[in-house]
This record gives sequence, C-alpha cells and structure tokens, in this order.
Amino acid sequence: MKTYLSFLVLSLLLLLAGCKEPVIDEGIEPFTEPATTDPDGGNWRPVVLKSAADISVPQPAAVTSNAYQAELASVKNGLLGVNPEQNTAVTYWAAGGVLRWNQIARQLVAKYNAVPENDGITASSPITDPYAARIFALLSVAQYDALLVTWRAKYQYNRPSLIRQDVITRVPIADVPSYPSEDAAIAEASYQLLAYLFPDEANWLKTKATEHKQSRVWAGANVPSDLKAGEDLATAVAAKVITRAKTDGFGSALNTNWETLLAKAPYDVTWKSLEIPARPPMAPLSSQVKTWFDSAAVARSQPGLPPATTSAEFQKALTEVREIANARTREQWRIADFWADGAGTYTPLGHWNRLAEDLVRQARQNELRTARTYALMNRAMQDGVVVGWLTKYRYFVPRPSQIDPAIKTATVIPNSPGYPSSHATISAAAATVLSYVFPDEATNLNAQAAEAAISGLYGGVHYRFDTEAGTKSGTTVGQIAIDWAKTDGVK
Amino acid sequence: MRFAFLSIALLTTLGCGQPTRAQGLVDGFMRGQRKASLAVTYSQETYETYYVNTTETRNPNLGTVTTQAVNLYGTYGLGYDLDLIISAPYIRTEASAGYWQKQEGFQDLTAALRWEAYDYKLGNARLSWLFALGYSLPIQNYVSDALVTIGHGSRNLDGRTMLHLKAGGFFLTGQFGYIRRGQVTLDRVVNYYDPSQLNPNSGSTVNVPDVTDAVLRGGFATRHFYVDGWIQKQTPYSKGTDIGPGIPFPTNAIGFTRAGATLYLPIVKKFGLTGGYSTTLSGQNIGKATRLSGGIIIGI
Repeated sequence: MKTYLSFLVLSLLLLLAGCKEPVIDEGIEPFTEPATTDPDGGNWRPVVLKSAADISVPQPAAVTSNAYQAELASVKNGLLGVNPEQNTAVTYWAAGGVLRWNQIARQLVAKYNAVPENDGITASSPITDPYAARIFALLSVAQYDALLVTWRAKYQYNRPSLIRQDVITRVPIADVPSYPSEDAAIAEASYQLLAYLFPDEANWLKTKATEHKQSRVWAGANVPSDLKAGEDLATAVAAKVITRAKTDGFGSALNTNWETLLAKAPYDVTWKSLEIPARPPMAPLSSQVKTWFDSAAVARSQPGLPPATTSAEFQKALTEVREIANARTREQWRIADFWADGAGTYTPLGHWNRLAEDLVRQARQNELRTARTYALMNRAMQDGVVVGWLTKYRYFVPRPSQIDPAIKTATVIPNSPGYPSSHATISAAAATVLSYVFPDEATNLNAQAAEAAISGLYGGVHYRFDTEAGTKSGTTVGQIAIDWAKTDGVK
Repeated sequence: MRFAFLSIALLTTLGCGQPTRAQGLVDGFMRGQRKASLAVTYSQETYETYYVNTTETRNPNLGTVTTQAVNLYGTYGLGYDLDLIISAPYIRTEASAGYWQKQEGFQDLTAALRWEAYDYKLGNARLSWLFALGYSLPIQNYVSDALVTIGHGSRNLDGRTMLHLKAGGFFLTGQFGYIRRGQVTLDRVVNYYDPSQLNPNSGSTVNVPDVTDAVLRGGFATRHFYVDGWIQKQTPYSKGTDIGPGIPFPTNAIGFTRAGATLYLPIVKKFGLTGGYSTTLSGQNIGKATRLSGGIIIGI
C-alpha cells in the first residue's frame, strides 16, 4: 500500500514537471471571406496620392497567354507540395495582411517603447504617444493608398481570381481580380514604411514581407506576376508617403528646447517632472507635426485654460483624485491597469488599433476597407495627439501628485503635463471615427472611450477636468475626420 | 521529542511583489495523531535592490520596499503519519519613494497534506521519508500585475519529498519540491515585445512559471530550545520573462538562493516564542531581501 502511494505521489510530481506551458496563451482566429469586394474601390479618395490613377500599373499578360498558364500550372502543382512551415505562413497571413502588419507595428512600438535608463541622461527616446501615433498613421495611410491603386488596377484589368480558375485554395480568399496582388501591395508598403521608421528592423521586416507575399502563392491565391505588380505599385506609393513623413515636422518635435515654452506658460503652478532624477518631458514639441486633416480646425479643438490651483473648482477636482486614491476599489484598479499602456507596451494608440482589429474581423471587412478604417482612425488619433500636446505644453498643468504628494497612484505617472488627458483625447477621437465606420458599435465604443478617459482619474494621474477636456477635443477631431470620410467616395 | 515550532512556514512576498514560500511550506517534523498547533507570526522584509534577471538593480523611484505580513499557520495530525497544514497570510507592502500605492490584503490560502511514508532506525538515529502535497489559491482578487503587490495571484500545486534524519537533539532535513503555478488573468492585454510570440497582442491570460524548490535544514531540537540554520534554492523550471517595462510581473522567472536561521523557545508547557532571520544570497527577478520574523506558537 505504502509503496503504491509513494509511487503515485512521485509519478504525479514527474507528470506535473513534464508538461511545459507557454508563457502566453493565444487564441486562433477563424478564417472568413470578406463581406464585400468593393469593385468601385479604385475611385475612393486617397490620402497622400491625388488619385489612385497617380500610380500606373502595367497591363498584365492575358489569361490565355502561355506565360500566365505556366504560372497558374506551377501554383496549382505547388499546392500539393506545401510543407508544414509554409502552411503555417499561409494561415498566419490569411488572418488579414493589414491586420497582421498592424500587429507587427504594435510589436515594434512595444519593443522600442522603453523608459530611459536610470541615469536620467540616456536619450534613448521612448516611443510615447506622439511617436506611436505617427507610426500607426503613416503605416495605415501607406497601406490604404497602395490598396486604392491595387483596387483600381484589379478592376481595370480584371484578371479573374484563382478560385474562378479551378484552384482549390488552402484558405478562403476574396473573390476579387487577382492582379495585382493586394497582399503583395500591403506587404511591400508596410515593409517600406516600417523599415523607414525602424531602420534597425529592416532585415526582419523584409523577411516578414517576403513570407507574406510567398504565402499567397502557397495558398493558391496569387501567381507570381500578381505579386510583382503589387510590390511595384506599393514601392511607388510608399515613396510618396515617406516623402510626406520627411516633411511632416516631426524632427522639430524632438527638439528639447521646451523651457522657453514653460517660461511662457500662463498657469499659476507649472509642471515639473516627478521622477527621480527629474527628466525632461516626452517629445514636448510634437504639436508642431503637420496634421492629416484641416490644421486650423484641429487647432480650434484645443481646450482653454483650466481653473487655477487656487480656485475652489480646482480644489474640488484635487479632492476627488485624493479620495479615489485613498479608497481605490479593485474595479478602479482594473480600469486603470487596463488602459495604462505605459512603457514597454504598444501605447494607448496601439490599444485602439487592437480594439479596431476585433471590429474589422467581426464586420469581415476586406483588405481595402480594413485599411480605410485604420487610416481614418489613426490619422484622427495622431491629430488628437497634436492638439493634446499643443495644450499640454502651452499650459504645463501639474499632475495631482505634484500638488499633493500624498496622492499615490495605481500606474506610473506619465512624465508630461497632465492637461488634457492624452488617453481621453486619443480614445474619443478613435471611438468617434470607429462609431462612424461601425454604427452598431457606437454605444459600446463610447463606453470604452469613457472608461479609457476616466482610467487616468482612477489611477490617480489625472483630474476629472483633464479627462473632460481631452474627451471634448478628441471628439471634435474625430468629427473632423468623419467630415473627410463623408466625401471619400465610400458607401 | 516533538516540537511545534512551525514559524518557518511563513508565506510572504519578496521582491517586486513576487511572493514566495519562505523555506518551504513543510518541515520534517510530524505533528502527531490528533495533535494540533497554531502559530501566529509577524514578519518584516525589506529590499532596496532587486535582480533584473540576475543583475542587481536599484530604482530610485521605488526606494526601499517593505513587506509586512501576519501569518496564521496551523497543523493537525490526522493520523500518526499524516498531517494537515493550513496557512493564510495577511500582507501589506509599500515602497518608500515614488508614488506607488501600497497594497494590502489577504494573500493565498494554502492547504497541504504531509505524509510520513517510511521510517528507518539507524542505531540511535531515525531516518524518515516524507511526502507532501499542497494547494494554494488567492483568498481575494488582489492586484498581481504591479511593481508593488502582495502576490502573483495564481493557483498552485506543490508536491515535495523530504528525508528527515534525527539523532538525539540533532536533525537534518533535505527536501525537494516542484511547484506548479497556474495561469493568471491580468487586468490588461499582454502586449510587450516577445519575438517568439506570433501574436502577442491577443489576450490577458498568462502563465506563471513553475519552479523547483530545494531546502536543506539542520539544527537541534531539544526539550528546552529549537534552533536551525537553512539554505533554500528556488529555480525557475518553465520559461519565464525578466522584469522589464510592460512585461507582466506574474510571468517573470523567479529564482533565488536564501539562507536563514530560526529559534524557538518554549515558555510554558504549550506556549512558545519564535524568531527568525533570513537573507538573500543571489536571485533572479526578485528583491534582494532580508527578513526578520517573530511569533507565538500554541500547541493543543
């Protein structure tokens, strides 16, 4: 009896030790065909290009030509020999090219979003909101404009999709003309933009792009000449988007000469860094970045001066922060944690890109529509950041813990003036745009934006008036983006 | 000669909010059939430096982290060779610098069965071979993913085996255990950069790395006092992360080598006082902590 029992206990131990677990669990997305094909997509309004016709795409070889038939036969034969590794690539990219490259961008943002070293001198600029906003916006715009050109050429030349040519694809594909390949266009545009923004990652990104393109041949979705055309047009589009990036004024945002702004600040107590040792604020001049939408309208959404620290109104706001900090509930902690998105993460911008991903999947948007959704939202969010930074570094309103050091926080205190809440601005802008694209989700989106905004108060890093001002200007910026979208030709 | 000196079984947090079972949950001394003991101990633990992976780091925005714990620990002899052990700590942890909110609350409830499977006579000495199986779960939904926290929030299964040698007053116990730690759902979506993850932005459930745990303890247990010295080495068994920005705290691979000593003095028949000290010799993703503890033990 004893022997059996000890044997049992020992086996249980070994059994437990034997099975290794992954650090993070992830789900597997189901594959779906897009809900629409949007044959008129080539006529939609681009962002950086004047029209989709700006980039010409050469006429493809006829379907009846020997060259094309040879390609087609080779793809069909290749389907039989797809190895497990290739199959993994096929299913990975079949989840959506725009979505996958957005995920890759989120990963890179998280990777480079590091806090400076403790010595306080290291200028390793962390990717904070202004950086991340620009990265996501530039990427989405490049993808969107490249896909507009792709769509125009698709329906101009009408090379039938491979499923119409008796190819049994490994994954569901959109029934759109196969030339040029939308996946090649996405892969190339994304690769070029991200390699421009993250030069150290160029090789890794190139590998990803090559795999993405090839995966469509392994899947039976494209022939090599489809890929080549997509790649070429995307290169031309990416060059134009990079030209815009070079002239968007972001270079001067990195200028650290912010003390002159501080000297001019009209607020009665001005912000100071609460870190030990104190650090200069994050990208203080980001307001000088060129906006995507009407810059005058965006600037008008700027909130006014908040109540002075000596006012009863301010004291009431401070008391609210203190009371919440002293009796923070578990739910308030959860909300603060959920939206914190601080150093080492994909930032609040990445958070909204992730939330948009779920909606895109749910609505089964095709690649073109997905790119439009992201391009609209990310441009609105970047403009929201611009107006937020304009305000932050105009007034230099201190964080609650600076006024009352007894206020303890649930999250790291961002090293920037608090007014307005960047989370609130970004979230309101994103939710407003997404509610326009997904009207059925409006209630839910607004609730999420409201939670994101209030998270700063729950965390103890914002006053209520920070969050209200941010929400107000973010909503206005979102509305400006919608006005643009109403005339972009999308039904 | 049996002693209810069980202060050694404190549960507490060490280092960046990573709780650890100090010196193992169980020792080699069986309680005895239908005998019980209850220990109430207080401990205070501090660290100024912590290990990021195995590199010592100091964060001026954290200062000194202090963890206080009140632990209730009870044993009951279900049979002459089978004990039930239960423990529940109340913990408060706070940092001296920066603006981190302190954390306070009940941590994990642990129950374990200890079984003395064999015992051999070796001249005047006695060697016993024991097994123990424990399970622990959080008592309340505390915040596990923060710089200053009281625990990592996982449900754990702890299996261990011990060899316990006793010769007169002298004793030596060696034990080896494996702690299986379950998954934790964070308040947020995990999205730090990890090249091995295909899509790291997809969920908020993470795994707390399993560890192996070895303790060697020796000392004297007599009618008039109990004293021991011990060394404990905990090693991460499954893959884990290193402390870093954005990285969830519960996923960190935690390891350490720690040494300490315990003293127990019986005051009146069934009532005694205990005290202990321990220090960290080396670590991995944990605070370089020293701890002092004291308490009372009542045998029933």
